[in-house]
Amino acid sequence: MTNLKISAKMHIMIIVSAVIIALGIAVGCVCHFVADGYFNYSGEYKSYQSVTVSYVVLDFGKDDELRDLCDEEFKNNGVKYYNYSKATNGGELTFKFSENSDTAKIQAAVEAINAKLKDESADMTGLSSAVYHTVKTELGGANVIIYGSVALAASVVFQFIYFAIRYKLTMALSALLANVHNLAIFVCLLSLCRVPVSSTVIVFATLTVLMTMIGCAFLFDRARKNIKDEQFAKLTNFEQVDLCAKQSLVSVCVASVCVASAAAVLFVLMSISALSVIQIAIPVLLGLVSAISCVYGTLFFTPAVYSRFKRIGENFKEARKKSKKV
Amino acid sequence: MGKIKSAIITAILLAAILVLGFFATVSCAVPNSNGVKRYNSFISSIRLGADLTGEATTVLYPEGVISAADYFEGLPALPVEGEDDYADKLEKYEKYTGKYVQRGSVYVEKDLLEDEENNLSDKVKKDVEVLSARFDRKGYSSYSLSVQDDYTIRIAVPTNFSYSAYKQNNATARSDETAKISRTIQYLATSGELSVSSEKHSIPAKDTAADYFKSFTKYSAANNYAVKIRLTAEGKKGIGKLTSDMMADEETALNFYVGETQLLSLTISEAITGNSFYISVNDASYAEDYSIILNSAANGEVLNLDYGVSDSLKINYGSAALGDNAAIYLFVSMLVLFAGAIVFSVIKYRKLGLVNAIMILIYALVIITSVLLIEIQLTVAGAFMIILGLALLCGSNFAAFEAIRGETKRGKTMRAAIKAGYRSRLTAILDLHVVLVLVSLMTTLICMFTCAGEIFACAFIFFIALVASYILYWFTRFMWYVLSSPAKDKFAFCGFKREVPVDD
Repeated sequence: MTNLKISAKMHIMIIVSAVIIALGIAVGCVCHFVADGYFNYSGEYKSYQSVTVSYVVLDFGKDDELRDLCDEEFKNNGVKYYNYSKATNGGELTFKFSENSDTAKIQAAVEAINAKLKDESADMTGLSSAVYHTVKTELGGANVIIYGSVALAASVVFQFIYFAIRYKLTMALSALLANVHNLAIFVCLLSLCRVPVSSTVIVFATLTVLMTMIGCAFLFDRARKNIKDEQFAKLTNFEQVDLCAKQSLVSVCVASVCVASAAAVLFVLMSISALSVIQIAIPVLLGLVSAISCVYGTLFFTPAVYSRFKRIGENFKEARKKSKKV
Repeated sequence: MGKIKSAIITAILLAAILVLGFFATVSCAVPNSNGVKRYNSFISSIRLGADLTGEATTVLYPEGVISAADYFEGLPALPVEGEDDYADKLEKYEKYTGKYVQRGSVYVEKDLLEDEENNLSDKVKKDVEVLSARFDRKGYSSYSLSVQDDYTIRIAVPTNFSYSAYKQNNATARSDETAKISRTIQYLATSGELSVSSEKHSIPAKDTAADYFKSFTKYSAANNYAVKIRLTAEGKKGIGKLTSDMMADEETALNFYVGETQLLSLTISEAITGNSFYISVNDASYAEDYSIILNSAANGEVLNLDYGVSDSLKINYGSAALGDNAAIYLFVSMLVLFAGAIVFSVIKYRKLGLVNAIMILIYALVIITSVLLIEIQLTVAGAFMIILGLALLCGSNFAAFEAIRGETKRGKTMRAAIKAGYRSRLTAILDLHVVLVLVSLMTTLICMFTCAGEIFACAFIFFIALVASYILYWFTRFMWYVLSSPAKDKFAFCGFKREVPVDD
C-alpha cells in the first residue's frame, strides 16, 4: 500500500468511482425504459404470469411426475419459468413466468397440460387441472425499503457525530464520505450486475455501511495512535495516511473477507438445495457486491480522500495560528 | 493461578459448552417414547424467514367472483335428451351457465359485471392498497399483495415456521403458526366500518369512529396481552354515556364490529370514564391483529368489496424459495465458516487459538439461544449479520493478539505484553463496539416502530452479536490467563517469540 501511494491518487480513485456510478446509473436508466425497471426487481415487487396445477389425490412421489409432465409441455411450447414452488401441505404446484414471456405460448402449454392430465387422470393425476394466471404486483414491502433507508441515514449521521466528537472532524467527514461513497457504489453495482433486488437489499446496504464503519474505525484509530509517534510526524501527509492504511489493512479486510467467504460457501452449498440458481443469486450476489464495494471504498477511496481532508484541516489550523499571532 | 484451579474452571466451561451445544444442535426421538415424542433442538426451533421455509399464499375472491375450479365443481351435468327430468335439469344447467361470465381464469356473476363493468377491477386495485397498508403494520420480513386475474387478490406472507415445523417434525408448532396466519388474513381482510354497540345501545350513527378513537395499540405486560383503546375528548363523553346507559339497562357486553363481524367484546362492570381502556386478548398475535384492523377501520380505510373471509380460507404453504433443505445448508455453511475461523486461529496462534475457538463456540451458542428465546425471525440476510458479528469478535481478538505479539518483540514479559497490548487496543475496540451498538440499537428501534420486519430482525441480531463480541473479547483475556497458567513457556503457548533487547 505504501509503495502504491494510494492516498496520493485521489483523482484516479474519484475517476474510477465516478465511472462505476455513471455506468450503474446509465444501465439502470436504460433498463428502466427498455427492460423491467431501474433495478432487476425480484418477486415481491415484480408482476408476473403463473401457472398453478391443482391436484387432489396423488400417490407418494407422483407429484414429481406431475412436475415432469408440466416441464415437458413448457419445453415443447418454448417457455421457461423462473420460479417453481410446491405446496408443502399438498395440492398445488406453481410455476412463475416473467411478465414479458409469451402469453399465448404459456396458455398453449396450459391447454396441453390439461389435455394430458385428462388422458392420464385414471392412473396418475385424478381431478388435476392447470390454470393460467396474470399477477400484477405494485405494492408489498416497499415501506420496508423506505423506513430502512431512514434508519440507514440516521446511522450514518450518528457515526459522523460520534467520530467528530471522539476522533477529528476531518476523520468524521472522511467516514461520512466513505459511507455515502460505498453505498453509492453498492447501489450502482446492483443496477450494473442486474442482481435481483428485493426488500432484503436494505439489509445488505446496512451491512455495507456497518463494514465501512468497522474499516473506518480501524483506519482512523491507527491515524490517531500514530500521531504520538515522532518518526511518524516526520513523514509527509500522504506517507502518513498510506502507513495507517497499511497497518490497518488486515483489520479493515477481515469483515469483508468473512462476508465474501460466507457468500461463496453459501453459493456452493445452496446450489445443492435450491430449486433455481437465480434464487440463491440474490443473497450471494448481494453479499459479494457489499463486500467488494466496502473493500474498494474503505481501502482505496477513503485514504485518498482523508489525506486531502487532513491537509486542508492542517492548512486551516496553520492559517488560524498565523492570524492569531498577527 | 494454580494447575488445579485452571483445570476445574476449564472443565466446567467445556462441560457447559458441550451440554448446551448438544441441546442446541441435536434433535432426536425421546428415549422410551417409542418414537412418538421428539426433542427438537434449539436450532430447529428458530423461526425462519420465507427464503428458508416458504410463503403462505391465499387468493381472496370478491363476492360474485369464483375460480374456474369452483365453477366446474358447481356446474350441473349437461342432461342427455330423453333422460328423466330432462327439462328441469336443462333449465338448471342453463341457469347456472347463464349466471357467470368467464373473465380469464375466473368466473364473474353477470349481474355484478353489468353494475360494475367499468370499475370492478379498479375497486379490487384500491382494496389491495388498503390491505397493503394493513399488512405493512404486521412487520413481516417479506410479503406481497397482488391483483390476480384482474378480479382477485393474491396474498403471500412468510410462514414464520421453524425448521421442525416446516419439516412437520413439530405438529403443534406448525398448527399454531398456520392458525395464526389464517386468523391474521381473515381479520386484516375484514371489510366494513367500525361500530361499537351493545344489545340496546350504540354510538350515534351520525358520528364516525375517528371522532371517538385516537388509536388502538397492542399492549403487553407480564405475559398478559391486551388492546389499548385511547379515546378522544368526544370519545370519552360518547363512550361514557354509552356505558352509563348500558349500566342503567344492566347490560355488560360492549362489542366492537368491523362491518358485520364482531371482533372484540368488553365485559364492563361500571361506566368508562377514563381517556383509555384495555380489552384483554389471548396472545400477542391477537392483540396485534385486532389493533391493526381496528385502527384501519377507525381511520376510514374500508374495503370496497366483501371477500367472504369469514368462511375458511384455502391457504397454500409453498416450498422455500431456496430449496426444501435450504435451512440445513445454511446451517452447514455457517458451520463451515465457524470451523474455518477456529482452524485459522489454531494454526496462527497455537494454544492461544484454542482460547479464541472457545470464544467462537460460546458466541455461536449465545446467538442460537438468543434468537430462539427472543423469537427473532432468521433469514439468509440475518445469517450474514451473524457472520459479521463473528468477524468482529475474531477481528478484535486478532488485533489484540497482534498488539501483544508486537509488545513481546520489544522484549516485554508475557504479563507486561498482555497488559500493554490490551491497553493499546482498548480505545479502538471500545469505540468500534460503542458506535456499532448504538447504530444497531437505533436501527432496531426505528424499524421496530415502523414495522420494517427483516431489517429490524437483522439489526437486532447484530446488536446481540455486538454485545456478545465485546463481552467475549474481555472473557478471552480471562480464559487466556486461566489456560496459560499451567504452561511453563507462556510464549510457546501463544506461538510468540520474545526478542530480548541487547541491553538486557
